[in-house]
Amino acid sequence: MEGRKEQLKSVFYNLLSIAVAAVFWSLFSAWQQSPFFPSIAQIWKAFIGLITVGDIEGIGLFSHIWASLIRIFAGFAAACVLGIPLGLAMGLWPKLYKRTRAIIEPIRFIPPIAWIPMAIVMLVGFSRYAFLIWLGAFFPIFITTLLSVTRVNPLHVNVVKVFGAKRSYIIRKIVIPSVLPDIATGMRVGLGIAWMCIVAAEMIGGEMVGIGRLILKYAELIRMGEIIVGMLIIGVIGFIMNEIFIIIEARIFRWRSEVSID
Amino acid sequence: MNQRKSKIQVRDLSKHFGSLVVLDQMNFDIYDGEFLCIVGPTGCGKTTFCNVVTSLLPCTKGAVTLESEPIDFKKHNVSFVFQEPSCLPWRTVWDNVKIGLEIKGYPKKEIRERVSEVLDLTGLTRFKDFFPNAISAGMKQRVGIARAFVTEPDMLLMDEPFGQLDTSTRFHIENSLVQLWQKKKQTVIFVTHNLEEAVYLSERILVCTQKPTKIKKEVYVGHLDHPRNIADPEFVKIRREVTDLVRWW
Repeated sequence: MEGRKEQLKSVFYNLLSIAVAAVFWSLFSAWQQSPFFPSIAQIWKAFIGLITVGDIEGIGLFSHIWASLIRIFAGFAAACVLGIPLGLAMGLWPKLYKRTRAIIEPIRFIPPIAWIPMAIVMLVGFSRYAFLIWLGAFFPIFITTLLSVTRVNPLHVNVVKVFGAKRSYIIRKIVIPSVLPDIATGMRVGLGIAWMCIVAAEMIGGEMVGIGRLILKYAELIRMGEIIVGMLIIGVIGFIMNEIFIIIEARIFRWRSEVSID
Repeated sequence: MNQRKSKIQVRDLSKHFGSLVVLDQMNFDIYDGEFLCIVGPTGCGKTTFCNVVTSLLPCTKGAVTLESEPIDFKKHNVSFVFQEPSCLPWRTVWDNVKIGLEIKGYPKKEIRERVSEVLDLTGLTRFKDFFPNAISAGMKQRVGIARAFVTEPDMLLMDEPFGQLDTSTRFHIENSLVQLWQKKKQTVIFVTHNLEEAVYLSERILVCTQKPTKIKKEVYVGHLDHPRNIADPEFVKIRREVTDLVRWW
């Protein structure tokens, strides 16, 4: 009962914070009276227009969202498929990491946006976007997996070692359950970076569809209403994805103790 | 006591960390079905002893053998109750307790029967579906004991398992432990710095010196019946004897 009340309170305050932000924006917009700061009504009108009529090339808003989502999922899935096993392998066999870190670590520090020209030259179409998203999402997933393996509680390993557990059992039943929450955190961080990468990639990449491209189209026309719609859509989709992740995490990792400093 | 069959043999056991000698030529036998307590001051190397006995740490010299063979986890049935709570947080109480049997490949039916029995003996049946984050520290330690006993080990090593518990919880769990041991009659090595606990639980006490750790003396307690009365004159006498041994290094 107490938990439900707290949840409702939380929803209420979140809605209130959105309302406060909207009021501030409205006041600011009314004060400025500038096409660079459209009112909420104008943003809403732009949103409806993008849904019903589409953009300047007649491409509907949902087509833009769908194109970006597909690219995100492809790149993100590739980052998980490669990052998690590689992180596990390098965590379990630290020599593998020590002997290859001279190639891995420098790549980690090159921002995905810096790869765009290379991606344009080397890849075409969809693979170009997927590659850039993969680059952005891969390292948070890979690094958190790698580090979490090295932080597995040795006591937990000793518990099963004493019973005569084989290495494969220790990996399956101790290491993997121990590192899963950290991997999930890495995935959440990776997903956020994936969104940053897709927008940048779509702005520079060749195709005319995608949320990033939509923003760029209207930036050239200085139509802030549509630009803000694009920005808000990215924020809302990212927020929904994050919430879904949190719900799944809470279900899967219900054994975890939440830490509170209250 | 000495007519009993020797189960575990500790011979010239030494452990050095660089120039620091922690264990120094320890020699003793542990008898089949015996409850042996090893007492000594904090920092004397009791945990190192446990880790060396279970091969989690290699010894520098000497050997520990189980029925005259070097201890091998895959061959011998060994259990360890650690000083710190060692429940696997992603497993329920039931799944934590069964893990040893699972590793040793027992059939599901036998696992069910054994786990049910040991949960009943440790008073954990009601909490079998709980995750460790939902139970108290005392219960977690009981899970560790249940997990150790359920495999009916040839050697059960307990490293100050009740050190972090309050007095009443400790007494309660100590009684559960004695009942479990009386029923299963497993060979137990119980390491503690709590002298009263040692007299309350064991059949024999080995008193260790400060580092480098040697066996100073052994004290027999087996003639006291369980459950022991801590106010009983004989109990008090033994406790005083052990205290004096610990006091005068």
